[in-house]
Amino acid sequence: MEGRQDLTLTVNGQQRRVSVEGGETLLTVLRDQLALTGAKRGCNQGVCGSCTIAVDGWPVRGCLSLAAACEGREITTIEGAGADPAMGVLQRQFAERGAVQCGFCTPGMLISARRLIADTPQPGVEEVQAALSGNICRCTGYRKIVDAVLAAAAELAP
Amino acid sequence: MNDQATMPDGIAVGRSIPKLENREKVLGEAQYIADLQRPGMLHAAILGSPYPHARIRGYDTAAALAAPGVVAVLTGDDVGEGRMGAFIKDEHALAKGKTLYVGEPVAAVAAETEAQARAACRLIEIDYEELPAVLSPEAGIAAGAPILHEKLADYLKVFDAGSSGNVASRTRFEEGDVDAAWADCDVIVEGEFTTQAQAHVAIEPCGALAEFEPGGRVTLWSANQSVFRVQANVCESLGLSMAKLRCLTPRVGGGFGNKMEAHVQPITVALALKCRRAVRLILSREEDFEIVRARHPFKIRMKTGASRDGSLVAREVEVLLDCGAFADDSPGVMGYSLLMSSGPYRIPHRRAQGRLVYTNKLRFGAFRGFGQPQMCFAGEQQIDEIATRLGIDPIALRRQNMIAPGDSWFLGQQVLSNGLAACLDAVENASGWKDRPHSTRQGRKRRALGVAATAHISGLLGTGATVRMLEDGSVVLNTGATDIGQGSDTVLTQICAEALKIPVEQVAIASPDTDGSPYNWGTTASRVTYTTGRAVVGAARDVEQKLKQHASEMLECAVGDLELRPGGRVGIVGVPQAEVPFAAISGRAHWAQGGPITGDHSLVFERMTHDPKRALAQGLPFPRIGVFSFGAVVVETETDEVTGKTRIVEAWSAADVGRAINPQLVEVQLEGAFVQGMGFALVEEMVWDGPRLANPSLMDYKVPGSRDTPYDIHSIIIEAPEPDGPFGAKGVGEIGINAVPAAIANALALTTGQRHRALPMTCERVLDAIMQSDTPA
Amino acid sequence: MSGPRLLRPDSLAEALSLLAEPEARCLAGGATLVAMMNAGLVESRLLVALDGITALSGIIASPEGGLRIGAMTRHRETAADARLAGSLAMVRQAAGVIANPVVRNMGTMGGSIAFADPAADYPPALVAADAEIEIAHASGNRRLPAREFFLDWYTTALEPGEMVTAIHLPPPTPARSVYRKLARTSGDFAIASLALALDGESLRIAIGGCGPTPLRLDAAEAALAGRLEDPRAIAEAAALLVEASDPVDDVRGSADYRRRLIPRLLAAALADLREAREAA
Repeated sequence: MEGRQDLTLTVNGQQRRVSVEGGETLLTVLRDQLALTGAKRGCNQGVCGSCTIAVDGWPVRGCLSLAAACEGREITTIEGAGADPAMGVLQRQFAERGAVQCGFCTPGMLISARRLIADTPQPGVEEVQAALSGNICRCTGYRKIVDAVLAAAAELAP
Repeated sequence: MNDQATMPDGIAVGRSIPKLENREKVLGEAQYIADLQRPGMLHAAILGSPYPHARIRGYDTAAALAAPGVVAVLTGDDVGEGRMGAFIKDEHALAKGKTLYVGEPVAAVAAETEAQARAACRLIEIDYEELPAVLSPEAGIAAGAPILHEKLADYLKVFDAGSSGNVASRTRFEEGDVDAAWADCDVIVEGEFTTQAQAHVAIEPCGALAEFEPGGRVTLWSANQSVFRVQANVCESLGLSMAKLRCLTPRVGGGFGNKMEAHVQPITVALALKCRRAVRLILSREEDFEIVRARHPFKIRMKTGASRDGSLVAREVEVLLDCGAFADDSPGVMGYSLLMSSGPYRIPHRRAQGRLVYTNKLRFGAFRGFGQPQMCFAGEQQIDEIATRLGIDPIALRRQNMIAPGDSWFLGQQVLSNGLAACLDAVENASGWKDRPHSTRQGRKRRALGVAATAHISGLLGTGATVRMLEDGSVVLNTGATDIGQGSDTVLTQICAEALKIPVEQVAIASPDTDGSPYNWGTTASRVTYTTGRAVVGAARDVEQKLKQHASEMLECAVGDLELRPGGRVGIVGVPQAEVPFAAISGRAHWAQGGPITGDHSLVFERMTHDPKRALAQGLPFPRIGVFSFGAVVVETETDEVTGKTRIVEAWSAADVGRAINPQLVEVQLEGAFVQGMGFALVEEMVWDGPRLANPSLMDYKVPGSRDTPYDIHSIIIEAPEPDGPFGAKGVGEIGINAVPAAIANALALTTGQRHRALPMTCERVLDAIMQSDTPA
Repeated sequence: MSGPRLLRPDSLAEALSLLAEPEARCLAGGATLVAMMNAGLVESRLLVALDGITALSGIIASPEGGLRIGAMTRHRETAADARLAGSLAMVRQAAGVIANPVVRNMGTMGGSIAFADPAADYPPALVAADAEIEIAHASGNRRLPAREFFLDWYTTALEPGEMVTAIHLPPPTPARSVYRKLARTSGDFAIASLALALDGESLRIAIGGCGPTPLRLDAAEAALAGRLEDPRAIAEAAALLVEASDPVDDVRGSADYRRRLIPRLLAAALADLREAREAA
C-alpha cells in the first residue's frame, strides 16, 4: 500500500506543500523538504529537546510529531519565531549573555523559553529551570541560559 | 563573579564580547554537518558488528547492492591496509579481517535516502567466525587471554609504548624513593578506586559529508575538533596523499573529545571515492553512543603518606586502564593521568605507573579532563583522608603542601605561573568554608561541604597563525583551529585585535581549511587559547614589523621610533600628528612597494615535560606537554537520607587561567565543566550487558538537565599570567571538571560517614553507605 | 518499504471501526509510539490519530460527582487542573512529573496507561485513586477498575480493537494525597514511586517501578488502618509490600535498592502527610 501523500502544512505563517509518508516525522519534513534546519536531530527519541518547535503555540518535539498529523496546525520553527518581538529579545539576551556555546540546543531552548515568558511573564529561577527541563544543554551548565531568560523577561515586563 | 582586579581591560582582551557566531545560532541559521547538502548527495549508513571478537571470513553484498536506491556497498575488502591512530596506528578505516567490538563498523552503504541505506545494510551478509572475547582489562592480561591485535608488534607507535600481548602500552614515572619513604610517614592512606565509562553526549551526533571532486580530490566536511587530524586519519587509513583531501568544518555541536580523532570520516570518504559522488553519513544517537568513543573506566590503586605535621611525603599510584578495541588517545590519557596523579602538591617521593589493556569494547579516548577527573577522584580524596586523620582542615592541608611559584611538576617541568593559592583562597572565602559547619542535618536532608584542587595543562604540539592585511587595512586571521562552540574564533580574534590595537570588527577569522589554514593539531587539551593564541600574537607581531617598516619609509624615521596606535595606525612616538593609517600602508604594500603584508608564526610547544636528572620516565607519550592552569572547587551537597539521592546546592569553582581573554567565556567553561563533572560524579554511567552496551540512548543514559543543576554555580576567575601566554593566558577548557567528582565525594564522606571509592555515586550507593553508617553497632 | 497510512477520524465510532483493521494502532500524543517507530521497534500498517476527536479530550465533572478525564487529555492540562485536589492531588502531581514540559504538551493519559510502562507515573496514582478505566470497542463500552487494567509488563486488559476513551476518578475528598517519585534526573522514569492517600485513619497506597504493575495491597493498608503513627505497623505494612513486590535490576537501579526504598518512601510520605494534616 503506498503511504505517500501530499499535504499542506502551515509553517511560519506560510502554506507549504510537502509530500509525506505516514511514518515521517515533522522534524524530517521540516529539515529535508522545507530546508528549515534550525530544528535539530539530537536523539530522535524526544529526550534531548534540540528538535523542539511550536505547534499551535505549544512547544512540542518535532521528532515525535508525525507530519501527516499536523495538517491544519500552526507550526512555528526558530526561523519564523523571530518575527515575534519577544522572541527577538530572548535571542538577543541569549547571544549577549553567554547562553550560546555550540548552539545545537539553542533553537529548541528558545522555543521553550518563549512559551515560559508567555505563560509566566515574571518567572523566578526555579520556574525557568522547570520550563527548560526538556532541553538538554551539554555546554553551558545552564546558568547563563537561565540568566538570559530572566533578563529577557525583565526587559519585556510591562 | 570574577576577579578582574589585577588586569586592566584592553581594547579587546579582557572584554566579554558575545561570540561572533552567536547571532547566527540564535536565529537557527548555523549550519552543522547534518544541515549541509551537496548536489547529487547520497546518504550513507553503517552496519555494525554483532560480535565483540570475530574473524571476518567473507561478505555477500549482492542483496544489498540490488536493494532500492543503493549506489555502493563498502566492506573491509574495499579499504587498504593503512592504519591510523594517534599514538599507536592500529585502526583501519573499516573492520578488516576481524572485528573487535559490538557495533564496530564492518560495512557501509551509500544510497539515495538514509532509510534505503539502512535497509540495505541489513541485507549485507557477513560470514563471521566468533572468537572468545576479552571484556575487562584483567581478562586481557590473564594468562592465555585471546589476543586482539595479533600484529601489535608491527604497528607504528609514536612513543616507547612497550606494547605486548593485549597490553597496548605501559607507563611508569618515578621520583625519589617511594619504597623507602613509607617508613618516614606517620600516616598512610591506601585505597582502590574505580570509575565508570562516561559518554560525551555532545548534543550533535557525529557526522561527515565527503564530496568527490571531478579532478579526483575529495572535499570533506565533518563534525570535528581538528580538520588536520581528520585529514591525517583519513589519509593514513585509506592510503591517500594528504594533497588529495581537503578538510573543512561546518559549525560543530560540541565535542568534549568525541570529535578529536576519527569517527565516520574515513568511511564517508571511501564511499565518496567509490561512488564518485557526494556522500553524507550522520550517526544516530545510539550509534554515537556505541561506536565512537567514551571516557576511560579507571581502576586506581593509590597510596599516600604524610608526616604528622601534614607534609606529604610519598604517593604511589597504579592504574589498570581499559583501552577498548583501539588505542586512539588512550596512551595519552594514561600517561597524562599518571603525570598529574600527585596533584598540585610537593611530594618528594612518588611513583605512578599503569598498563593499558585492549578489550573487546568500543575504543575509549579523549574526554575533557583526559584521565584527571578519574585520578583526582582518588587523589583528592586521599588528601582529605589524611587531613581527617591528622585533624587538619582540608584546605589548610592543601595550602600547606601546594606547589609554590617556581616549583617543578612531577618529572621536572618548571611551573612558571601558579595561581593555586588564590584559587584556594577564593573558594574558601566565597563558600564561607571557615565560618560554617561542614556537615549539617535538617529533617531528612543532610548537607555537607567538600573541596578539591587540581591543575591541568594547556599546550601540546603544533600550531600556526597567519594574519593577512587586506587592502583597506582590515585583516584576515587564519589559524586552522576549529571552534567547537567554546568560542575560540572569538577569543583568537580578540587576541589578534589587541595585538594590532584594532577593533574586533576589523578582524575576519577564516574557517579551518586544510587547503588554506596553517596546521593546528586540534581543539583539545585546553590548548587553543594558549598555543594558538601564541601563534596569533606572533603573526600579529610579524605584521606589526612589516607595517612599521613601511611606515618608517613613509614617515622617514627609524623603525624604532614607531608605535602602533589604537584604531589601526602607526605613528612616531611622541609626535601625535605623525602617523599613517593601516589602509595607507596596506595600499602602498599592495600597489607600490613590497607586496601585500602577511604575518605568520608557527610553533610546536617546546618545554620538556621530563627532566631525566630528576625523575625516571618510561613510556612517556608526550615529551612536551604544556603550561599549567590551576583550579579549586568547593561544593555544598544535599542528600536525601530517605533515598540517598544527592543534589548540589551550591558550588564555587575558581580557576587560574593566566589571563581571561573573554571572562564570560571563561565562566561558561567553568560552569559547563562543573555540570559535566557533576553528571559523571552522580548519575552518568555506560553499562555493558556482556559485550553489548545496555544503555545507548538518552532514555537510559541520563545527563543533568536544568532542574538537576544548581543555579548557584559561582565561577571565579583567577589570573596568574603565564609569561609566554598570549597576554598571559592559559587554558580553561578542562580545568573546571577535574576536581568536581572528588569535591562531591569529600562532601559525601561527611554525610555518609563512608569513603566513596566507586563512581558514579548513585543514590543507591549513597543510601548503602548511609544505611551502613546508621546501623547501630 | 512504504510506511503506515495515517488517518485522522473525527468521531469515536469511525476510530473504532478503523481499529478493527489488522495492524492498526492508536496514535495518541505520539510521545511513546513515534519514539518507538523512530527506533524501528514498532511497525504498523495503519495509524489512527485520535487528536481530531474532541470528545476524547478534556476533564469534565461526571454525573456521579467524580471527574472524567478524556483519554486524549494532555499531561499539561491534567497537571494544571485545580479540581484534582485533596484525595486526587496525587493524580495531578503524577501528571506534573512526567518527562518534561514539552513532552507534557504531547503525551496523553490514555496513551500513557495503554502502554503500561511499569515505571510510568499515572499507573500507581490511578490505582491508589481507585480510578476506573473506560474502554470502547466497536461493539460496545466497558469500565474496569485501574487495578484490573494493568496486567503485566507493558500489558493491559485491552483486547484487540479496544481503546481507552476515558479515566474516571471518584469525587475528590479533603483527604490528603501525594505522589512521590525517585528518579535519577528530573523527568526520568521512576526508579520507584509511591502514591499515597490518607483518609482519616485509613489510607490507600500504590507503589510504582517495583514490579510489572502498580503494587497495591489490601493487607498492607489494613495493617496500617488506625495505626498510622505506629512504627511497627508501618514496618509491617512495608514488609508486606516488599514481599509482594517484584522489582528487577535495570540501569536505573537494582531490585535490592527498590526493595529497600519501599519502607523508606512509605514512612517518609506517611510522616509528611500526617504532619501536613496536623499543621492545617
